[in-house]
Amino acid sequence: MAAWVKGGAVDVSAAVEAAATLLATAKTPIVTGLSADTSAVRAAYHLAGLIGASVDPAGGDGLYAELGPLSQFGNLNTTPAEAIGRADAVLVVGLRPWDRPIVQEIASSAPVRGRAAGSERTLLSLGGPGNGATRHVAYPADTGGLAVSVAHLRAYVKGNLSGEAAFADLARRLTTAQYGVVLYDAAELGELGVEMLQGLVRDLNDLTRFFALSISDGFQGRAVTQLASWTTGQPPRVGFGRDLPEHDPWRFDSARQVAAGEVDAALWLAAIPAPRPDWLGSLPTIAIVGEGSPEATGDVADIVIAVGVPGETAGGALWNERRAAITYSPPVGQPADLTAAGVLAAIQDRLTQKKGVSC
Amino acid sequence: MSTLTLRQEPPERLDFLHVNPLSLSGLSEAEAARLPIGTSRRGLTLGDVFAISLDGSDSLTIEGGSSRFDSVGASLSGGSIRVVGDVGQRLGAGMASGAVTVTGSAGPYAGSGAKGGTITIEGDAGDHAGGAVYAAKAGLDGATLVIRGSAGDYLGDRMRRGLILVGSAGAHAGSRMIAGTIAALSVGDHPGYGMRRGTILAGGHGALSPSFVETGTHDLVFLRLLARSLRALSPAHADLAAGALKRYSGDLATLGKGELWVTAA
Repeated sequence: MAAWVKGGAVDVSAAVEAAATLLATAKTPIVTGLSADTSAVRAAYHLAGLIGASVDPAGGDGLYAELGPLSQFGNLNTTPAEAIGRADAVLVVGLRPWDRPIVQEIASSAPVRGRAAGSERTLLSLGGPGNGATRHVAYPADTGGLAVSVAHLRAYVKGNLSGEAAFADLARRLTTAQYGVVLYDAAELGELGVEMLQGLVRDLNDLTRFFALSISDGFQGRAVTQLASWTTGQPPRVGFGRDLPEHDPWRFDSARQVAAGEVDAALWLAAIPAPRPDWLGSLPTIAIVGEGSPEATGDVADIVIAVGVPGETAGGALWNERRAAITYSPPVGQPADLTAAGVLAAIQDRLTQKKGVSC
Repeated sequence: MSTLTLRQEPPERLDFLHVNPLSLSGLSEAEAARLPIGTSRRGLTLGDVFAISLDGSDSLTIEGGSSRFDSVGASLSGGSIRVVGDVGQRLGAGMASGAVTVTGSAGPYAGSGAKGGTITIEGDAGDHAGGAVYAAKAGLDGATLVIRGSAGDYLGDRMRRGLILVGSAGAHAGSRMIAGTIAALSVGDHPGYGMRRGTILAGGHGALSPSFVETGTHDLVFLRLLARSLRALSPAHADLAAGALKRYSGDLATLGKGELWVTAA
């Protein structure tokens, strides 16, 4: 276990003291990353509430690309288990889903439940790889990008465009499926594209059964969204500057805040490894990172504390991609001494003592 | 005319939702100075940031702007506000009537959800001008939004009623439009993406979505009426509407009752 202050190795209590001192004097701090188990994320929201910080998870843009259409129309989503068990046609939109194990699982299985049971499964690709290890029928994206391609396809599905174009053939394959699924990454598709895709799925349900399945961001964004909802009543990007949680996805975009010079201190929580923010090192920062990760060094931030990695060297409730739910993951082998939730609680306790307030 | 004179650049974003001629009309200068406008634990008040001069009139001038001034003129229900300088996000958001003028530039979401009145930005506007904020049903909703300079991306996103007049706009102007009119000397790529109804008039444009189809050139009475209504605001836009135009119909991915009018080559 290790902790650093200004690049020098210290014991954990000294790092906690330094972190509390930094946050106690901050007027417009941010708490970012939130790539951790739910107990740590909960502690991060409580700490943010104490110090008047705003909160922004690592995969914020992708989360809001999904949440925007959901807030307007609702989404027709399914789970990985249902997609694998029932779908006779799966359309993979974009490139990013191909990096996930679920594509291979879909490609190597066939529907065993429901109306398509016993059928062959067709794997289709829109804007994905032209060829590769997985057999699929590939349709190139329009030059305008994925979102424009989805709109183009939807116009064919609705019957507003017709002809012998490639998208007409893809539309025919989708409308003749017995149970179809569209797999996509919201961050890659963007909010407009996700809304169009969900509209496409609604249109397809006038003709057959069709659902969407989006891949998660890998940084616990789905779990953060649920926890933010039950903790603050709001989606993840909230600010506590005026005590009550205010939701504003633009104002509390941490990258924007830092670029605009609106932040005087930051806490970056990445117990599960996440990409370093571009602004790291440009303002006073506390980094709570997974032990053994490349970020667990003294030069990453002013104050660095290495903690157990949930699901590896610490137990924790995490987003389970396969089950599409939050589940508990026990540690593998000997658990680490420190957890992110414990460190955050220690910082909060020390802050409370410094401020002389109860929370 | 009441005046707020900026002392210095504020250290944080400020919220002007409750700073308008109506809310200030019943207050003494000392009472107004205690109005909270800060958004952090600093607890900034109006008097911390501005020198205040009130006369109880229905017009307010803010001398000195900042891109950190949020919600200026938001929910305005009468009177006028003039900002000499820049403002931040949500200029005139949700306003019902009155006039808001900014001599500089505005941040994102100007005029979002505004049902009436006129918003004039003499400089540039950020992304989503006249567009909907998160989870809102509509962007501009009946007001008139005039942007003399350029607007960012997603101009008029999900707008429902009213008129946006702009010099030039970025990509996805008129995306997800429900109804209303956008007049622009030029727009960027993919105007009208996902629009259901509404009218976009553009002198020039970037790439068009393949789910828009050309429906020919037309000489419609509507276009002459549009030109007449635009002339008082901008002769250049009126001339555009009065010239030869080519019509595209879209977005065929949705309802497809929107129209994009562009200058015929």
